[in-house]
Amino acid sequence: MAVRAERTPAWQRGRLASWLVTTDHKRIGILYIGSSLAFFVLAGIMAMLMRLQLAREDTDLIGPDRYNELVTIHGTAMIFLVVVPLLTGFANFLLPLMIGARDVAFPRLNALSYWLFAFGGLVLMLSFFADGGAAKSGWTAYAPLSTQDPGNGQDLWILSVHILSAASLAGAINFIVTVHNLRTRGMSWTRMPLFVWSIYVFSWLLLATLPTLSAGLTMLLLDRGISIGGWEAQTNFFNAAEGGSAVLYQHAFWFFGHPEVYVMALPAFGIISEVIPVFARKPIFGYKAVAFSTVAIGFFSLLVWAHHMFTVGLPNSLNGFFMVTSMVIAVPTGVKIFNWLATLWRGNLIFETPMLFALGFLSVFTIGGLSGIYLAAFPIDWQVHDTYFVVAHFHYVILGGSLFAIFAGLYYWWPKMFGKVLDERLGKWHFWFLFIGFNITFFPQHMLGLEGMPRRVYTYSNGEWEGYNLASTIGSWVMAVGLLFFAWNVEKTWRKGKRVGNDPWQADTLEWYATSPPPPHNFDEVPYVTSARPLYDLRRKLREPTGYRSLS
Amino acid sequence: MRATLFFTVGLGALALIAAPAALADNGGFAPVTPESPNAERIRDTWLFVSIFILAIFVLVEVLLVTFIWRYRRQRRQRFDDGAQFHGATSLELMWTVAPVVILFLIGGFVFYKLPGIADVPSASAGGDERLEVRVTGRQFSWQYEYPNGVVAIDTLRAPAGVPVRLEVTAPEEDVIHSWWIPALGGKIDAIPGITTETWFEAERPGVYDGQCAELCGLEHAQMLASVEVLPPEEFDAWLAEREADRVAVELGAEEWEGVCAKCHGLGGEGGIAPLIAGSPILTDPEALAELVRNGRGEMPAVGSDWTDEQIQALVAYLRESPPSGS
Repeated sequence: MAVRAERTPAWQRGRLASWLVTTDHKRIGILYIGSSLAFFVLAGIMAMLMRLQLAREDTDLIGPDRYNELVTIHGTAMIFLVVVPLLTGFANFLLPLMIGARDVAFPRLNALSYWLFAFGGLVLMLSFFADGGAAKSGWTAYAPLSTQDPGNGQDLWILSVHILSAASLAGAINFIVTVHNLRTRGMSWTRMPLFVWSIYVFSWLLLATLPTLSAGLTMLLLDRGISIGGWEAQTNFFNAAEGGSAVLYQHAFWFFGHPEVYVMALPAFGIISEVIPVFARKPIFGYKAVAFSTVAIGFFSLLVWAHHMFTVGLPNSLNGFFMVTSMVIAVPTGVKIFNWLATLWRGNLIFETPMLFALGFLSVFTIGGLSGIYLAAFPIDWQVHDTYFVVAHFHYVILGGSLFAIFAGLYYWWPKMFGKVLDERLGKWHFWFLFIGFNITFFPQHMLGLEGMPRRVYTYSNGEWEGYNLASTIGSWVMAVGLLFFAWNVEKTWRKGKRVGNDPWQADTLEWYATSPPPPHNFDEVPYVTSARPLYDLRRKLREPTGYRSLS
Repeated sequence: MRATLFFTVGLGALALIAAPAALADNGGFAPVTPESPNAERIRDTWLFVSIFILAIFVLVEVLLVTFIWRYRRQRRQRFDDGAQFHGATSLELMWTVAPVVILFLIGGFVFYKLPGIADVPSASAGGDERLEVRVTGRQFSWQYEYPNGVVAIDTLRAPAGVPVRLEVTAPEEDVIHSWWIPALGGKIDAIPGITTETWFEAERPGVYDGQCAELCGLEHAQMLASVEVLPPEEFDAWLAEREADRVAVELGAEEWEGVCAKCHGLGGEGGIAPLIAGSPILTDPEALAELVRNGRGEMPAVGSDWTDEQIQALVAYLRESPPSGS
């Protein structure tokens, strides 16, 4: 490879400095994952505080003001600073390795993307110290509640999400260009790993919807009023008193907000589609159906936004349209679930930690998907909308779905990232505590919603909801113990983890052909890709009797 | 040994979920017991959808557990291949088409039930004309206006067996709220500048509770609502009485408890808002009108459209029972 060897300036070679100036997609990927896990700890603590407040009736632990801040920042952080960037981290680390490339198409843009993300995240977290505290209008920031809040927290929230959007846009363009142009010899579209497919659709979704969010947030900012050097201006896009419409904001927000769910779900599906075949020792069942269903989900996710707005009084013909499009998404999602199940069928199943998380994902994500059908049927949504039923639904999708898949991915690719494999015994404790704790926390919330408990309330006192709430709070502590096992595992592996070779799982995709961890240039040579499972092909070729054998 | 451990933990988890279920109204496995035809039809839709949801849930989880058990490694080598097949078109077609059929059924059932849920009946089966009430949601109280101009706060009185149509809105300078009484049907948002509608027709007298379902600010959790369904004669008597006495102390009490006390405390002792017990404004109609109609500082205009009579009712109540300050 004719790569010009540029000499790195001395100041960039230090242990810390080399991470600050890196444009290596693997290091950027690890930076993304590390920062997201740090934000995960913060946003998780916020969730624990809210659960403590709700454990019993009429609790005085956290006041309404603080509680609304926690609701807002927990939600915003978990989405923009934890799940999406964790998946972006995987995409960064894996995409070039999986397609046999040296790096992403625009490595500097990639570094910019990470630093924008880190900066945007800091703005959000530090907004707690702003005049008037952090934003208090929920991660959805519905106008006019968000335009009327006098504190600076809401402005910082808008600023932060703007910065994070810019980071995501840069990343999305980078991934799309990389997939189009940098695939190695022989890797046609139908030989791409399914994770690459999912990142490809993920990127298009971000590109299609983030501009709408940015427009909505800019209108929000202008409605709040701006003043630049004595010049003041204020618009009334969402102000009914001056002829604006509060519902307009919801359209702008959810046109982004619903595809965002698939931005968090599709790469998780991609991870599951990589892990299950390797631990079932089988090819994925129906590769093309799984890849195509990814594209179909992405496309239809652009047509369902108003199912978040069934209660604003849209005409029922529109409600009906959005019900049908939302239900249509259930079809490709069902295809995925059944294809994963069929991949287990007649396999040689190995229950190591990545597989446990993948199977856990299958069992709980199904619940999250099915409760979505109730929500799509809009008269039922009129009952359960904005209640704990919805809270349960999306935690089954995002925590039980995306986050379980992310843990499967962390256990699976850890040896590729760091050369050491995470401890199996601690991994199993981690999984079981998280799995059981997760269900204790979130299953009762379905019932709370049906019983009439709205979301985002800081307290309640009707004598009926305490049991389920207490169960939910206990569950959150069980989950926390599970996550402590993970932290312990990382620490222990760091100190004395077992070094493993390039391909500890005998996997199928190209990243396992590189060394663990891979060198800066990834590959000395890349094998010609003959199927969606290049390494399987390679192993089979090595086992095949050759013509020379008969001579010996 | 390990199996026993998992079994115990699993049972414990299940018990933790089941215990509150036994205590709560129908356990929370379906919407609350309906008291109005629209709520009942929503519940029917829920039950119809549940048939398919449960069937698919059981199918997936049983297959998952069966495969996990049946195809575990046992005595095979760690890296032995499983069966190397890549798909089966007929199977895949089946699990693409079957969900389409199920979703068709669910969608069809929704549209079949929809008119009975969304359309407001013009009269009851017995011929009683429907009642119209205007519902205004504002931070952090509900105000009801009857056709004859009678106003009530937070508790909506309604006659049994008569359809009640609600026009739901919020003042233009307020935020979005959501009207919801679970036993009486679905929720509908109260949006500044927009009027939406919903309805109920309760057969049984009783009090049905609900609360604002859209985050509306600091005291969102205290924005409770209830519907008190009265026998028709009792309702008529109540409405006539309130119409005759427009500055009723009873209305003043509703206003104090629903509008002032949520932030200032029942005794005016202060809470998230300052202490107001003993303030001269409370008994000065003009100053009070100025304050509740326009707000001041962090206090929103909690009574932007209050009539002079509403102000007088509040003053009358406060003169009769001044807040204790504790």
